[in-house]
Amino acid sequence: MAVVVIGLSHHTAPVTLRERFAFAEARVPEILQNLCSSGAADEAVILSTCNRVEIYAATSLDERNAFAKLQAFLASIHDYRDPLGDEIYTLGEPQSLHHLFKVAAGLDSMVLGETEILGQLKKAYDLSLQHSHTGAVLNKAFQKAFNVAKHLRTETNIQRGSVSVGSVAVELAEKIFNALDDRHVMVIGAGDTSEKTARALLSRGARSIIVSNRSHERAVALAQELGGRAVHFEEWAAEFEKIDIVISSTSAPHYVLDRAKLEPLMHRRRNRALLLIDIAVPRDIEPEVNFLENVYLYNIDDLQAIADDYLKQRKDEIARCEAIITEKAQALIGSRRPPAGITPSARPAFGHE
Amino acid sequence: MSIGSDKLNFIVAVILYGVSAIYSIFIFRKGFRHDNRINYCLLLGGFLFHTAALFQRGFSLNRCPIHNLYEATTFIGWTMVTAYLCLGLWSRLRFLGAFASPVLLAVGVFALMPGLDVKSETMVFSGGWLSLHVALFVLAYAAFGLSCVAGLMYLTQEHDLKFHKFRAVFSLMPPIQRLELVSGRLLVTGFILLTGGLIVSALFARQMNLRFAADPKIVWSIFVWALYLALIIMRWKFSQGGRRFAWGAVFGFLFVLLTFWGSSLLSPIHKPTP
Repeated sequence: MAVVVIGLSHHTAPVTLRERFAFAEARVPEILQNLCSSGAADEAVILSTCNRVEIYAATSLDERNAFAKLQAFLASIHDYRDPLGDEIYTLGEPQSLHHLFKVAAGLDSMVLGETEILGQLKKAYDLSLQHSHTGAVLNKAFQKAFNVAKHLRTETNIQRGSVSVGSVAVELAEKIFNALDDRHVMVIGAGDTSEKTARALLSRGARSIIVSNRSHERAVALAQELGGRAVHFEEWAAEFEKIDIVISSTSAPHYVLDRAKLEPLMHRRRNRALLLIDIAVPRDIEPEVNFLENVYLYNIDDLQAIADDYLKQRKDEIARCEAIITEKAQALIGSRRPPAGITPSARPAFGHE
Repeated sequence: MSIGSDKLNFIVAVILYGVSAIYSIFIFRKGFRHDNRINYCLLLGGFLFHTAALFQRGFSLNRCPIHNLYEATTFIGWTMVTAYLCLGLWSRLRFLGAFASPVLLAVGVFALMPGLDVKSETMVFSGGWLSLHVALFVLAYAAFGLSCVAGLMYLTQEHDLKFHKFRAVFSLMPPIQRLELVSGRLLVTGFILLTGGLIVSALFARQMNLRFAADPKIVWSIFVWALYLALIIMRWKFSQGGRRFAWGAVFGFLFVLLTFWGSSLLSPIHKPTP
């Protein structure tokens, strides 16, 4: 019995088509039941995320026959009657196992190396397992896929670092401060990115968040969401003494914080380290403040450059990951083959077989 | 110097530290992430020769070999490389070798300076006082050496963070605040040990009726003590932490390394006639 894959992903199909083929989680057990009873597959796992809809099946049918049946099943279950071309891909062994391993490791994801997909794949597999739609073949293939993903995460740089601006800001904070616990964070200007960055810092242990915005109501609302407190925009400098991290994203046409203003504030802070994240365009913080001792200023381009470097590094790791995947897939297929000299007919029969 | 003699083994160890220091430049360029295993092996090789040298010297004299400046210095270096090899068992800390090897090379070259390795039988100090005197100073300078290593790490990481280098987030280096803390604590520890060493020396010199204050080595030691005291006061009283403090820890130890030899040769107490 071989593992085959049929599906469509962000590489081959636009969202309008992917949403037509998406499976609601609640209906998956019933659909798996139909699929197995239709004879198209002996074992099956359905993976349905915003970027891909895939059926992983173990079947004793020959590949061509299996693909035809699976595609017909996919179209009929979604009542899709238009002709399908390259949007749907079909993969037989060993490509199907390669693909499964790549998906598990985030190598096939829109954001290269992301880890969310592994959780989604585990969930899809567990659902099928609970309803007894997996057997020896898919169990082994999926367990191997999870192992390979873990191996690639620890042995290569494919999942290392942050590829979003907010996460890079958190990493920087972790390279400056001994611990993020009890760090005081100030958000000046309540924008979307600054909110995300503040949330990321909170999730890593930062305790106090102070929000200051020209519209005080917006500041109060965001402070409530983040579990912090709001201060009036004119008063933010007064709070500066105990602040360690500043995220600034106002729409002010001029600098909100310049060297002349920060220098005396740094003396009052006894020169403690200060991380300034300026994600505003035009910039909120005068670049010269970076010349002050113990002040670390990063603007949106600096953060993006680090995120890009991480992404470049992940891309550089693809070849290494592919080589590991090929080796692991071959090992899996090899482990299924009977030892030399024993033909299937010569093997002793066990159980019901 | 015969083949396999303790001095030759030590020279081989210093050469290996030197190769490791050169290799560290490549590790530095790669962001302290790659090939640290090779560096670890180089330092392990150096450690083996270094240990052999210490044992040979110890067995030949039938005592712990820290009774002249060469022996004391090699012992400081050995303490540092042992500390690194233990920490390096954790792969995440193996990058520390890139900072330890230049310091080990400096300590090794210093130990090999002529005039330091003299027979100790003619030393004025002897017995328990001598051991305490030597132990306190050896530990003090080892602490200053490690503080210098932490200071170097701080300066590297601080520079990378200031200039937005990818290496700042990519490297395995601890946060700069922690490095500053470690460097500061080591420096204070070294200072306390140095103070203890000076007090022990003063008490014993008085007992022996030696002209304590006139000896160049003692004047030099008091100067080093004052230098580190100034660094500590600057940091805790005047908030001169961060980069300036790290430079202080690095230059302080460099000063010790560069002048220790000269001051010892000028001192009649510390430079006994062979």
